[in-house]
Amino acid sequence: MTSVSMTVNGKPASGEVEPRTLLVDFLREHLRLTGTHVGCDTSQCGACVVHVDGTAVKSCTTLALQCEGADVLTIEGLAQGDQLHPMQEAFREHHALQCGFCTPGMIMSAIDIINRHGGVPDETTIRHELEGNLCRCTGYHNIVKAVIAGGEAMAPGRAAAE
Amino acid sequence: MYDFNYHRPSSLDEAVTLLGQGEDVKVLAGGHTLLPTMKQRLAAPSDVVDLSRIAALKGIEATEGAVRIGAATSHADVAASGEVRNRIPALAALAARIGDPHVRNRGTLGGSIANNDPNADYPAACLALGATIVTTKREIAADDFFVDMFETALDEDEIVTRVDFPVPRRAGYAKFPNPASRYALVGVFVAEGGDGIRAAVTGAGPCVFRVPEMEAALGHDFSPAALEGIKVDAGGLNADIHASADYRAHLVGVMARRAVEAALEGR
Amino acid sequence: MNERPTPSAHKGAVHRPVIHDSAERHVTGSALYVDDMPELPGTLHIHVGMSERAHARLRAIDLQSVRTAPGVVAVLTAGDIPGVNDVSPVHAGDDPIFAEDIVEYAGQPIFAVAAETLQAARNAARLARIDYEELPAIITLDEALAAATDLAPAPELRLGDPDAAISASPHRLSGTLHVGGQDHFYLEGQVAYAIPGEGADMLVHASTQHPSEVQHLVGCMLGVPDHAVTVEVRRMGGGFGGKESQPALIAAIAALAARRTGRPAKLRLDRDDDMVMTGKRHDFRLDYELGYDADGRIQGARFEFAARCGRSLDLSNAIADRAMFHADNAYALPNAYVHARRMKTHTVSNTAFRGFGGPQGMMAIERAIDEIAFALGRDPLEVRRANVYPADGSALTPYHMAVTDSVLDELTEELAASSDYRTRRAAIRASNAESTAIKRGIALTPVKFGISFTTTHLNQAGALVHVYKDGSVHLNHGGTEMGQGLFVKVGQVVAEAFGIELDQVKITATTTAKVPNTSATAASAGSDLNGMAAAAAAQTIKARLAAFAAKKHNIAEEHVVFEAGRVRIGNQEMSFAELAHQAWMGRVSLSSTGFYATPDIHYDRATGRGRPFYYFAYGAAVSEVAIDTLTGETRLLRVDILHDAGRSLNPAIDMGQIEGGFIQGLGWLTSEELWWNDEGRLRTHAPSTYKIPTANDRPDDMRIAIWAKGENREPTIHRSKAVGEPPLMLAISAFSAITDAACAATGYRAFPRLDAPATPERILMAIREATGRAGKK
Repeated sequence: MTSVSMTVNGKPASGEVEPRTLLVDFLREHLRLTGTHVGCDTSQCGACVVHVDGTAVKSCTTLALQCEGADVLTIEGLAQGDQLHPMQEAFREHHALQCGFCTPGMIMSAIDIINRHGGVPDETTIRHELEGNLCRCTGYHNIVKAVIAGGEAMAPGRAAAE
Repeated sequence: MYDFNYHRPSSLDEAVTLLGQGEDVKVLAGGHTLLPTMKQRLAAPSDVVDLSRIAALKGIEATEGAVRIGAATSHADVAASGEVRNRIPALAALAARIGDPHVRNRGTLGGSIANNDPNADYPAACLALGATIVTTKREIAADDFFVDMFETALDEDEIVTRVDFPVPRRAGYAKFPNPASRYALVGVFVAEGGDGIRAAVTGAGPCVFRVPEMEAALGHDFSPAALEGIKVDAGGLNADIHASADYRAHLVGVMARRAVEAALEGR
Repeated sequence: MNERPTPSAHKGAVHRPVIHDSAERHVTGSALYVDDMPELPGTLHIHVGMSERAHARLRAIDLQSVRTAPGVVAVLTAGDIPGVNDVSPVHAGDDPIFAEDIVEYAGQPIFAVAAETLQAARNAARLARIDYEELPAIITLDEALAAATDLAPAPELRLGDPDAAISASPHRLSGTLHVGGQDHFYLEGQVAYAIPGEGADMLVHASTQHPSEVQHLVGCMLGVPDHAVTVEVRRMGGGFGGKESQPALIAAIAALAARRTGRPAKLRLDRDDDMVMTGKRHDFRLDYELGYDADGRIQGARFEFAARCGRSLDLSNAIADRAMFHADNAYALPNAYVHARRMKTHTVSNTAFRGFGGPQGMMAIERAIDEIAFALGRDPLEVRRANVYPADGSALTPYHMAVTDSVLDELTEELAASSDYRTRRAAIRASNAESTAIKRGIALTPVKFGISFTTTHLNQAGALVHVYKDGSVHLNHGGTEMGQGLFVKVGQVVAEAFGIELDQVKITATTTAKVPNTSATAASAGSDLNGMAAAAAAQTIKARLAAFAAKKHNIAEEHVVFEAGRVRIGNQEMSFAELAHQAWMGRVSLSSTGFYATPDIHYDRATGRGRPFYYFAYGAAVSEVAIDTLTGETRLLRVDILHDAGRSLNPAIDMGQIEGGFIQGLGWLTSEELWWNDEGRLRTHAPSTYKIPTANDRPDDMRIAIWAKGENREPTIHRSKAVGEPPLMLAISAFSAITDAACAATGYRAFPRLDAPATPERILMAIREATGRAGKK
């Protein structure tokens, strides 16, 4: 066992883990942050996406130890009290979910897309950039709509440069 | 995943020392090849050396006639780099189409080429651009680096530190992605550089390879039409659940022509 | 898609686009799936040891090193099962939990390890030494047909004299189409968490569409009555039919571990194990022969189907039956013969998947109609429209049911107009003449899908409603929530009944302890059945409240009106809560069960006649595709859908079902390819090898509308129609459009024999083959 410490959702978090412990298992089992899901084991489905130092990563393909000292943000860290993050609000309002299993990863990726582009990119770009997040229930229509609406709410009036 | 000893060296020297110890030591770059392999128990290293905290391995630098990319530079950083986009746009475009955004955020150039997956994109760029692979021991020409499926010229205790890509006069990459994994089912990188024209094919065979016949034809006439009628023998190509060898051979021709188009358009 | 949810509107009402009841929990990550539930101390984790062979005798199973491995608490085999070693949903006795003497597919469970951690269980399982004596394995459908491995006799449907009609027809054609299977790829894999109680009691939290069946089969396995087992399901992370019969195995293993150790035990399959171990959509071979006239009117049709069932019966009989029931799809066949063989193979036992055989059954006639149109040089839409079931109810299905509610003529014409189909088709054919590499195609296909379980007794449902004395309402019913929005729809029904806001209704987890003997949430029937049962329960309580109020205020009961959270009693008014409180004080029961059994349905399987369906759901779609004829890649450019959801209970939810169903169907027909090697091992067992649609695969332009004129002719819940499965088959339009584009690639000189899924390589090969045929002419 090795000790690991990081900041998770703004709070210090530490624990004793095996080197093979994945970040997702550290979040789910050690910290009981079960909003981050595991949908596959081959880094495709994106249900496990969290932000590490501001970048979207698949927490099923990241060792907890690789995140020593990192700043980790999960779905549970987005809302400010009762106030949903604009992207959460957009997914809720636009019916961008059915079974909900992919939703946390989808939202974390969506925020990353908006952050990276400094605004809302065009729909084609959004769809391309959502390739790492699988949803089996919807046809992604409302998800894309929600990303656009959430992105606009995150940074009103800011379309992406490209 | 079996357990292992985890090391996080802060210098290359330390990393090289660690590589020399332990029974089966593996280098962890972005982890997007090694960790899935370990999860499937196709690899069970005794020790894992995480290179992510070695600053010397990161960064992109432009020199006279070349772009030097640190081995631990992520695909996302290569894709977004102004230097790469301006001087070798085909390489930036290649990086931008690897995997998905999360994979690009973590996966690295060094990790990709050191693994030499037959379906990886970067080996085609290295070979076609005539890149030099710089390691902790030496400099290796791309022609000598990619040996066979998952096999490179690297010694056990040798780490790729950066790759120097000569800036070509023009270059283009086209790939037919595996729809599920987005690895190259077939990818062709065509470049016209100082020592002529090189066309490298990934995904189709056990290891990235050049097609001299195409290179010769393009030397006379750098256009898609010059490649019409040039067929790659399906004999040595991969046949698997995703595509037959015949289909791959056919795609090599199509992707090569598209790579030339891309080179002519400068994308 | 303009059905934007309006959460601020009156939440109680039906027919409104209310957002999903769990939406807020999903976006905050606080919705709990089985694997998210806090684990009790001492919880064990299970890993299953699976067969490495497709067909073999088990000479010896040596688990000694597994038992002594670190962290292992119990190793379970068939010998540990106190009751029955079978989880067959039809009690066929052919679905052992653990193989005993013979294994019949690669991936079949042989033993399970329960350990302190999942890692320990996995590590230990690898130490097993299984001695196999290999037996000949039948893997493909064609091998099964050659060996005549029929699992069950196949009934026939016969209308008129098809052979005579075909012979007498001026034109005839015949062909064969192979249609691949499909993995469910629910994002949440199979999982069950079993908690032993006192005595023989067992509580199982399972991710299942069929809690009552899991309860019963776990009971049989443990050798205890159903009353000892409680199965609870709050939600699933997707089901699609894959959690109808399959979860019993998972729950049985978890419950067995819990019984044997006295500790809570969880089994969660990882993705690869899930894909290898659990059943999928049946692949089919479809042979067809039709006779038709110069206008393309079908005179007679013969359909000979064969389904790859895998190693056991599971639900294959009902699935193959439904394929037969949908061989006509939307078309009135004056003479027809339908037959579907159920073939055994040494592969995983195939199972329910959205559409339940219906989609496969429809593919033959849709292909045949495209072929007829090609032969006659006509627009396939005109051939389709010439054959659709008439609105006047004069036509019979091959199972002799009069189709009295057909809206196909009107619906297809409305969609053809709104999608500008005819102009676009002409433009596409013109542009194909100019373009060499890219060829486009377009197709409009209709869907008629029968609603009801064809096993008549399954068409029943129960609900339980409590009104508390503060006016809040507890709703429970036998249906399960897998994301499809059943809970919110039934919640709306109950809120509507009481005239209260939806947030006054607590929608609670499905549990066998509250509503017994339920059917699976399947066959698209969830809202139809459970909505009616819940409405009945609410109605009972409402009647008691009305009677109480009427008596107290000395007025007639019909003058007690429930609306907008208030109750009008003559010229007085009070809140629903006040009335509830008064009724409690007045010693009125405020709890009721509700029950519903679909009326008027019957079917005689022996004669192939009856009315197996209460009604039909209809829809139609236009797909436009482009093929890159150099690589075979396709791109879906535009889709227009017009779907009949009756009077939709919740248009936002239904839109989600239509859109999602279409895209899932698109995956089935274009990209999702299951690939077994010669040894019978599934090689596509992860999303890295098995391609489901991503956001990038949806069409650039997707226009979906719920048919404004839709209304169920039958008195279903608020005249709505079932919408879970029918939209999946709208994706056949994409397959037909690809066929059209491939045909264009031959210069419209030969009809391409494309099989499904239409992967790039398959498209390219089909074009080559057809071009070759055209050249020989």
